[in-house]
Amino acid sequence: MLPVERIIGEEGLSATPEGLRLAMRLPWYRSLPFSIVEIDSVHIDGAPVDLSDAKVEFDGSVWPLKDLGEQINAFWFVRDSAFLHIPGQHAEPGSEHEVALSLFISPPYIPGMKRANIQTQTLRVA
Amino acid sequence: MTTTATSTGPQTGVTLYSFTNAWLNRKFELDGLLKEVARRGMGPNIEIIGFQNFREFPDVSDEFAEQFKQMMAEAGLNATSCAINSDRFLRPGAQPIDDATLVEYHKRQLRSAKKMGFSLVRYQFALPVELLPEIAPYAEELDIRMGVEVHAPMWAGHPAVQAYGEMYDKLNTPYLGWIPDFGGTASRIPESMLNAARAKGAKESLLDKLKEVWVEPGMSHEKAGRLREWALKEGHEPDHIQAASLAFFILSNHDPKSWAALVDRTIHIHGKFYGMGDDGREEAIDYETILPLFRDGGFTGTLVSEWEGHAYLPDDGFEQVEKHQAMCRRIFARH
Repeated sequence: MLPVERIIGEEGLSATPEGLRLAMRLPWYRSLPFSIVEIDSVHIDGAPVDLSDAKVEFDGSVWPLKDLGEQINAFWFVRDSAFLHIPGQHAEPGSEHEVALSLFISPPYIPGMKRANIQTQTLRVA
Repeated sequence: MTTTATSTGPQTGVTLYSFTNAWLNRKFELDGLLKEVARRGMGPNIEIIGFQNFREFPDVSDEFAEQFKQMMAEAGLNATSCAINSDRFLRPGAQPIDDATLVEYHKRQLRSAKKMGFSLVRYQFALPVELLPEIAPYAEELDIRMGVEVHAPMWAGHPAVQAYGEMYDKLNTPYLGWIPDFGGTASRIPESMLNAARAKGAKESLLDKLKEVWVEPGMSHEKAGRLREWALKEGHEPDHIQAASLAFFILSNHDPKSWAALVDRTIHIHGKFYGMGDDGREEAIDYETILPLFRDGGFTGTLVSEWEGHAYLPDDGFEQVEKHQAMCRRIFARH
C-alpha cells in the first residue's frame, strides 16, 4: 500500500471507557477540510459496526460523525491521525482483531472527484 | 560554445512535494526534511505546498512563521514558492463557496506565505478568472507574486489559459504570471507508471488500449470514460482499469513547443517528472525540447524538480530528484 493510500493510522485500535478508538489517516498528499471526508463503514472481524453514535476527534476537537460534513473550517493535517470513537464496542486490550475501514474523500478543488479508499488490517488492541 | 549558467540564468531547486512518501510516512519532521534537502545540495530555492507541510495553514501564526524562517536560515534555503489552493467545493454535492469567501481564502493564504518569507505563490485555475481583479491588488500591496499553475490537462492553447492571458493583459501587473507544469506536454506515458499497473496485474491488452486512447483528441475525463467502457466490456478488472486510468488525470500529450507562448510571463516552473533513465533523460517528458525555450527566452526564475512517481511508487524520491536536477542544469548550461 502506498503512503497516500493509507487510511488506518499508526496508532491503531485502542480500548476506551466508552468503547473503541480507531486511528485514521487522510489518503491524500495535502491537508483537507473534514467536510469532504465521508466515513463509509467499519467492520471488526467481519461484522459491520454501528456508527450512528460515533464521534471524530482531531487536535482537541470532537464532532459527532454525522456532523462531519459541516466542518468546512477544520483542516485534517495530512501528517496526523484523526480518531474515530465508537461507543458501545468492547475489545480486550492485547487481543487482535481484523479491522476494515472504508472512507471517501472529495478533494475540494477538483469538482466531481470522489475517491474510495478501503483498508483492512489486523490490529492489537492497546 | 559551452558556458556554465550564470547567476542571472534559470535556477534549479526542488519542491518538497517530491518527497511526499517520506513525509506521509513520518520519516522526517519539517526541519529534518529541509536539512536533508540542503545536505544533498538540492536548493537553495525550494517550493512548499502550504497545505502539505504547514500544520497551521491557511492561517499561519507569527510564532510559527518565525520558527520557519529560522529553520530555513539554518538550512541555508530560500523560501521561493508557496503553493496555495483554490478550495471552492467544501461541501461535496452542494454549491461551491461564495466568491467573497473564496477571495478571502486566497488572501489568508497570501498573508501566510508572505509572513513566512516566500517570494511567490502558486495558485490554481479553480479560481474564477473574474475574481482576479479583487485579488491582484492585494498581492501588490503585500509584495508577493502569484503564478497560476498550467497543469495537465491544461496547456498554453487551453481556453482557460487564454482567458487568464486576456485578464493578465488587462490588469497589466508584474505580480501575476504563469507556472508551467510540464505534465501537460508529455510525449508518452511513463514506463514506470505502466510497470506499476503491470505489477497490479493489468494486462498488456489494457495498456495497449490505454496508450491508443491517451493520444486521441478530447477531454481527459471523456477519454478515461472511453477506456473504462471498453475495458469493462473486455473483462478487465476495475482496479486494473483504475491503475491504468491514472495517466489521464496527471498527464496529457500537447506539443512541448507550445510553452513558447507563455515564456514571457513565466515566473516559476514545475519540472514535473516521473522517472530518470540511465541515459540521463526523463522517460515521458521531452526536456531537451522544452527547457531551451525558457533558457533562450530569458527566464531567470527557478525550475523546481517535482517528482510525482509517488502516485504509484513507494520510493522516497531523493535519487530521482538528484538525477533530474543534473539533467536540467546540463540543458540550462548549454548555449
